[in-house]
Amino acid sequence: MFNFLRRFTYQFKEYFLLVILIVISLSFLASNEKPEVKKIRTFALGSFAAVNNFLNFLTGVFSTDPSIDQLKEENARLMLELNRLRKQGVENQNLRNMLSVPDTSKYDLIAADVISKLVNKIQGNIILNKGSNDGIQVGMPVLNSNGLVGIIADVTDNFSVTKTLFNSSLNIAVTVQNINVDGVLSWNGSELIIKNIPTTYEIKVGEKVETSDFSTLLPPNIPIGIISKKESLALGLLHTIYVKPFADIRSVSNVFVLKVVSSRQINQLEMNLMK
Amino acid sequence: MIWNFIKPVLIFIPLAALQLVVIPLISVYDISPNLIIILIIYFTLLNGQIYGTLLGFLLGFIFDLISGGMLGASMLSYTISAFIAGYFYNENKIDINTTSLLFVLIVFLCGTIYSFIYSSIMNVNPDVSLLKLFIDIAILPGLYTAIFGLPIIIFKPKKGIV
Repeated sequence: MFNFLRRFTYQFKEYFLLVILIVISLSFLASNEKPEVKKIRTFALGSFAAVNNFLNFLTGVFSTDPSIDQLKEENARLMLELNRLRKQGVENQNLRNMLSVPDTSKYDLIAADVISKLVNKIQGNIILNKGSNDGIQVGMPVLNSNGLVGIIADVTDNFSVTKTLFNSSLNIAVTVQNINVDGVLSWNGSELIIKNIPTTYEIKVGEKVETSDFSTLLPPNIPIGIISKKESLALGLLHTIYVKPFADIRSVSNVFVLKVVSSRQINQLEMNLMK
Repeated sequence: MIWNFIKPVLIFIPLAALQLVVIPLISVYDISPNLIIILIIYFTLLNGQIYGTLLGFLLGFIFDLISGGMLGASMLSYTISAFIAGYFYNENKIDINTTSLLFVLIVFLCGTIYSFIYSSIMNVNPDVSLLKLFIDIAILPGLYTAIFGLPIIIFKPKKGIV
């Protein structure tokens, strides 16, 4: 019996090894959120990000100009301010006496460079060269001079991981600017979509989409993109809206982290939902 | 035996940095070549299936740690891809396997399998239809990776050819 088992194991040793390694991999997948695993990941990410940072410096050595970074930061501030004012203008017309819009222009911006990217159709991740030492926390929005890029998902001392809009695990509460229709923006692997919007709303192609007042994870009025097309579902009761982002997320190299410190408890809850 | 693992790991470090920093610059609509899978397949074809499976597991683990992705996703994908690449291992045909167009075909096959498994693991959105996106998430990255496997068969010196 023992000999048979030994021969059997030897004969199929490749398969046994494969099964064992698959089981170990799956157990790692299941334990991603454990503090010990997170600690190891943070250490490894921080160590290797330094190598990436150096390589990134070498590749970008001919294109760095500090004045351009300053102008980009100013541009990002102005973009937020403009969008806030535009929103207030529309709301002033419709709801003169009921205005209560949070002031997004007061948030600090932290300039950061993208040092590496994990390119994938399903999960877009970028690594930034700023971390908790610079005041970055999990859940802070990341944007460039055109609009929202993503959200901070993981932070080490000097580096941080951002989930971009092109990430299927990121769902954001958004609103269509002129008609105040709310929905949830998500990535379907090829496009950004807002599903299940009732056809009773007259949504036009070209209208702007921004973060919603309902989201406590992201401040309201951060521009995201414009509606590129809309599709009616079979019964004609609901729309699926396709959004083209303002920010060119695939080629983004300089970003700003919006230093928003909102309720930690709500942040935690929303980050749990996002996972 | 240990040297057999140290050598690919040493090659892996600069290759991983290239994969994370330089390769995104040449990606087209999020479709990018995978240099790590080429490395794993090459060493699998040199040393066999068991070695390749272990190497895929090891390099996948390191890549997951340094890339900021989900721990276990690359591990699983590289392990299975290397295991499949191991079926093409033949002690007597190592040179043919690593210097002919067959190598590019193996890279294409395993690159496609890797991309599909990885995307399937990472996807948590039920709206994403993986089968509908099969060409985008699996075949095109596999094809792009295969193109990057060409330099190996072009520049690797061929033995026994007069």
